[in-house]
Amino acid sequence: MLKTSLIILVLFVLAFGGFVAYDLATARKRREVYRVKSTATAYLMLLPAVALAFLFILLPILYSLGYAFTDYYLLRPNDINFIQLQNFKDFFAELSTKGTLYNAIKNTLTFVVGVVPLQIGLALLLALFVNRQGIGSKIFKVCFFAPVVISLSVTAFLWEQILAPGPNGLLNSIIGMFGMAPHDWLRDPKTAMPCIIVLSAWQGCGYQMLIFLSGLSNIRKDLYEAAALDGANWWRKFWLVTWVGLRSTFVYILITVFIGACRILTQPMLMTGYMDHTVTLSYYMYNKGYTERWVGYSSAVALLMTIFIGGITLIQRRIFREDK
Amino acid sequence: MDGRLTKDLPNFRPNKAPVKKTVKEIIYHIVGIILSLIFLFPIIYMLATSTKSESAYAMGVGTLNMFLPDFANLGTAFENYKSVLLNYDIWKYALNSFIYAAIVIVLNILINGLAGYVMAKLRFPGKRLLSFLIIFLIVVPVETSIIPLYSIVKIMLGLKQEMSVIGVILPAAISIFNIFLFMQFFQGIPKDYEEAARIDGANTMGVFLKVIMPLSKPIIATVAVFCFIGVWNDYLWPSMILPSANDGSWPLLPIQTALISIKSIEGITTGEIMASLVITSIPIFVIYVAAQKYIVKGFGTAGLKM
Repeated sequence: MLKTSLIILVLFVLAFGGFVAYDLATARKRREVYRVKSTATAYLMLLPAVALAFLFILLPILYSLGYAFTDYYLLRPNDINFIQLQNFKDFFAELSTKGTLYNAIKNTLTFVVGVVPLQIGLALLLALFVNRQGIGSKIFKVCFFAPVVISLSVTAFLWEQILAPGPNGLLNSIIGMFGMAPHDWLRDPKTAMPCIIVLSAWQGCGYQMLIFLSGLSNIRKDLYEAAALDGANWWRKFWLVTWVGLRSTFVYILITVFIGACRILTQPMLMTGYMDHTVTLSYYMYNKGYTERWVGYSSAVALLMTIFIGGITLIQRRIFREDK
Repeated sequence: MDGRLTKDLPNFRPNKAPVKKTVKEIIYHIVGIILSLIFLFPIIYMLATSTKSESAYAMGVGTLNMFLPDFANLGTAFENYKSVLLNYDIWKYALNSFIYAAIVIVLNILINGLAGYVMAKLRFPGKRLLSFLIIFLIVVPVETSIIPLYSIVKIMLGLKQEMSVIGVILPAAISIFNIFLFMQFFQGIPKDYEEAARIDGANTMGVFLKVIMPLSKPIIATVAVFCFIGVWNDYLWPSMILPSANDGSWPLLPIQTALISIKSIEGITTGEIMASLVITSIPIFVIYVAAQKYIVKGFGTAGLKM
């Protein structure tokens, strides 16, 4: 592994050297003057950042690509064999058995389909609600934002207590007031994912609310007045002025929430553990790579995930591309 | 500007009575309070439960008392906090998190600030390639290189148990996005400042430390706040890389990762779990309240990410 890394480093330096030579050769044409001293200072000052970025950002990406085609097992770093597309074949073979992997994909899709509209819808409604003057709306804004501040692990443990299976759990005691029997929310396959969806939207939507608010503040007020003079009702004002003005904000939020939702890992990991009814694709990948130590196979899953997420993101951008 | 203009305009619909407006205001605030309570109920529950003993908690089940502190025993309200802090060593984990965060903040600002300065202000061959790499690494969604990163840190660096804190700190010290933030900010600083310093005989490093950094307090504060939140709230990576010591020596785990072992201690009460969750959340709440200005600024720039 050290040897491969050194080879990659040499290749990286060579490629960089090539670009430097190219820049030097075309310097005159671009009317650019490079001084030796300032160039040396620049390289020296860049060195720490470039070294760390190479080691902890670029190298993992390259390895993730490379490992996907090997049988790398974490405890055998000196015995890595190139096995072509075997990992991908294994992936689809396991998918067809409808086992854990099938459930992981199903749960991830359930989560994405549930949380993206819920979280964005809530965020938009809350933003519209607090988008006005006055001390009341300021306080409400802080209240809606408060859950964002709490970390994922605290949220997971807090909601684990709220959804606790016994009659003493908060939710069970509330439905107990209406005479309903206590329910094991996180063990029941029917309710586990919906619970995780609701708590994720609860935690996340305050953040998107703030982004929507900054989008709302960029909409010109005179547009509303013009619409009001034309006799537009609330809905038409929203549709023709607010929604049009929020379009680019909405696309940004849609893409970031979608990517975040696809990566969901911590909540099921801390709240239920590796269970078929809550396992997600990220969790499956993590479990294969970290717990079972099959780095090669796990990297193949990661690669497929990146392709999937990147592809959907591109499609979303294309659909919502601003018409000029 | 716009707001003031509209306020000065006469009311276009004089037939709308002001009474109706007051009613509307009251309804707005009632709805707002209900919504706020719906949003805050888990936090209120957490705070209320953290003050209760196990028996007081059990007594309150199924009543509104679940959301209220134990008024009968207000004198012992902080018993749970005392016991998690002293018996379960939560302060040690909290101190770890503070130390990690402090080191990461300093390294992150120095390393990424330097890189951002070079990218914004200096001319050197190869700059165009690096600018492209920065944009590329920000835009391309790198979902899941955490397992290869783990294998690099674990196998290639071959860190011993005691040295594994390096594996927590160094990867957090580099952030392409922060380089980008610094770059954007430095580009807005006029050249005159630097030139004045250069005439006085300062070298590039001196200019960076004595001229650029003091002018960049807002962006430094934004990066520092986001670094702190990132390190304090990180759970997954430390849980992979750090050993969970149980031999009585000083633990290495940060607070979020330690929560899971605290939660599974035998005989721990619901109140004590809640108290440790509250303790874990307090620094972040303080940071958000104190540094609101810089956080909002950071959100504004985050929009540039696309």
